Amino acid sequence: MTGTARILLVDDEPSIQRSLAPLLRSRGYDVDVAATGRDALDRAEKYPPDLIVLDLGLPDIEGTEVCRRVRESSAVPIIILSARGHESDKVAALDLGADDYVTKPFGPEELLARIRVWLRRIASDDRAESGRADMGELTIDYDRRRVLRGEEEIRLTPKEFELLAFFARNPNRVLTHRAILKAVWGPNAVDQPEHLWVLVSQLRKKIEVDPASPKCLVSEPWVGYRLVAEP
Amino acid sequence: VRQRNGRLARELTRVGGAVAATAIVTVVYARWLNVTNATTVALTFLLVVLIVASTSRLWLAVLTSIGAMVCLNFFFLPPVGTLTIADPQNWVALFTFLTVSLVASNLSSVARTRTREALVRRDEMTRLFDLSRDVLLMTDSREAIVQLAHYIARRFDFEYVAVCLPHGTDWDIAENGAAHIELDRDQLSLAVARAGKTLELDAGERMSADHGTMSVGGRAIRVVPLRLGARPIGVLATAGRPVEEGSLDALGGIVAIAIERIQFLEERKAAELARQKDELQSALLAALGHDLRTPLTAIRVAASNLQASWLTEPERHDQSEVVLTEVERLTRLFDGILDMARIEARAVSTEFEWVHPSQIVDAAREQVEQLLRGHPVDVHVESDAAVRLDPRLVSSALGHLLQNAARYSPAGTAITIRVRIVAGELLIAVRDRGPGINAADLPRLFDRFYRGVQGNVVSGTGMGLSIARGLLAVEGGRVWAENHPEGGAEFTIAVPAEHDRRPRPDEPDA
Repeated sequence: MTGTARILLVDDEPSIQRSLAPLLRSRGYDVDVAATGRDALDRAEKYPPDLIVLDLGLPDIEGTEVCRRVRESSAVPIIILSARGHESDKVAALDLGADDYVTKPFGPEELLARIRVWLRRIASDDRAESGRADMGELTIDYDRRRVLRGEEEIRLTPKEFELLAFFARNPNRVLTHRAILKAVWGPNAVDQPEHLWVLVSQLRKKIEVDPASPKCLVSEPWVGYRLVAEP
Repeated sequence: VRQRNGRLARELTRVGGAVAATAIVTVVYARWLNVTNATTVALTFLLVVLIVASTSRLWLAVLTSIGAMVCLNFFFLPPVGTLTIADPQNWVALFTFLTVSLVASNLSSVARTRTREALVRRDEMTRLFDLSRDVLLMTDSREAIVQLAHYIARRFDFEYVAVCLPHGTDWDIAENGAAHIELDRDQLSLAVARAGKTLELDAGERMSADHGTMSVGGRAIRVVPLRLGARPIGVLATAGRPVEEGSLDALGGIVAIAIERIQFLEERKAAELARQKDELQSALLAALGHDLRTPLTAIRVAASNLQASWLTEPERHDQSEVVLTEVERLTRLFDGILDMARIEARAVSTEFEWVHPSQIVDAAREQVEQLLRGHPVDVHVESDAAVRLDPRLVSSALGHLLQNAARYSPAGTAITIRVRIVAGELLIAVRDRGPGINAADLPRLFDRFYRGVQGNVVSGTGMGLSIARGLLAVEGGRVWAENHPEGGAEFTIAVPAEHDRRPRPDEPDA
């Protein structure tokens, strides 16, 4: 990524466009605005953005569908704007490839912080991937299937390691229950979230400093989990 | 009286028949055939007695038996012509004859009584059956108990029926029948109290256990307690056609079940209403949740932008414009909720006054000025008459229609308002140039919170049209929707209104 980051803002509400676009421009982003799903897909193809802020309630194409189509050709981070009461749409969008969400009504700083995290993430992705990943205090060694806190090794079962590795490959990203179940247990397990609950609580006991108030592996209520890579 | 005379005549015919039959047998055997064999004669007499017993009453059969015995003795048993009997064997024969004929008479009579009783029972069973069918077909109307009394009176041909249910300290009494009787409340209370105390263990006793009679104005009224299980829930009072105790008891049972059923149906209806109310509330919450969030987000972001130092003057103006627009949107939303609550609580009052239809249109346009900005509005007022109605309600309803038209048609397209007076009604039609109404939406268009099969295409709560309908209904008006033959949707308001052809006094003559 070079120069200013390019953000595509997709929302059909003129007042949201009129308030968010100047805000983002004021922070130095190059902002492109689309009011419909079709327009958003067109613009995403013609002028590939570095990040998409996408409202789920669009007049022509469902926001979830926009997510799916963007993902077919691009790995650009997608942050969803959603209203409470539309949890299922939000989860569907995350399953279809969206990376994060902000619930309306949100404060400007909340959205700006998420945007910063995701732009940093794509910047760091450009670095060559090694067999090790540093997650704050934790170091994950994929090749030797080991996890270290500082110099001390944390002993994990193979399943626990697999789960942690999946999170570590998607740091900061909200991972839905379905997505995790599918990746770690296979497609047949997507309707058995109890596996996940048990394994997450075991994993937290080993990797969290205080398992009762997790700081590393945090819950996103009704949606899924997120691995916080930067303390 | 005629009925009694007829019965007497029938009785006399039967007595005559019995006497004649005995006499004929005696004359034929004694004089013409000279039959002297007492056995033959006795058997023939026995036949006569049986015929009498099977066709008439017991007392006539007994009299016939005695008459036949006397004739047998006098004319056929030696010494003939006297009532004395020489041979002791003949005493035995005569006594046996009398016994057999009396027993036969009695049996026959009992059989006849049974038959008659069975017929009565069958009749009452039929009536009870018909009544229970009526009861099962009864719907949960408010008049159900009154209807029940009507059914009982009709099925049992009673002159008076009253279903009495205690209601606090007073009684709810549903009456029916030709007779008018004022029931004594205290006696009803006594009957229920008595029924509450009685503990019935004997099935036979149960039949008539707490049945009583009370006398009102010289009329005997039968009183049957109505029970659910052992608990008395009321009293059934009847007068007129006599009914067997057993049937009366069964009648009481059916009435009690019917009342329970009615009460159950009413409870179910109340539960259904409560459920609908819950649904309404959650729909309202969902709609609010959705529709509040966008303006709140925009206001929050724009307000924080206003605090920032990076804004140029035009930008600052634009941000405050966003805040104002969204505040207006929230105001409309709250007005809608308030209107809806008032309609729901039937708290909408009317204030009639004389106005010109164009004033209503102007007021409505003013309400939704912001939304109408992108649409040229053509107004055709085809009547110059003043109308008498509540202008606030009509313009508010019209405002909702305009809001709808503006939302569901592309920016820049015209909205046409046409005002006419037809047959004592003010008609206001709003036509847009949008895609028209989906046929699947037409039947539910004016339902609360209905958002159409493609509900999320345009933002909204689904309250506007239902509010318009609710407001108009207060004035006896209506609103309907159709697709215009040349495209676009057309909504029409019709309000009954007095009108006046004279030019308005405050307007100079044209």
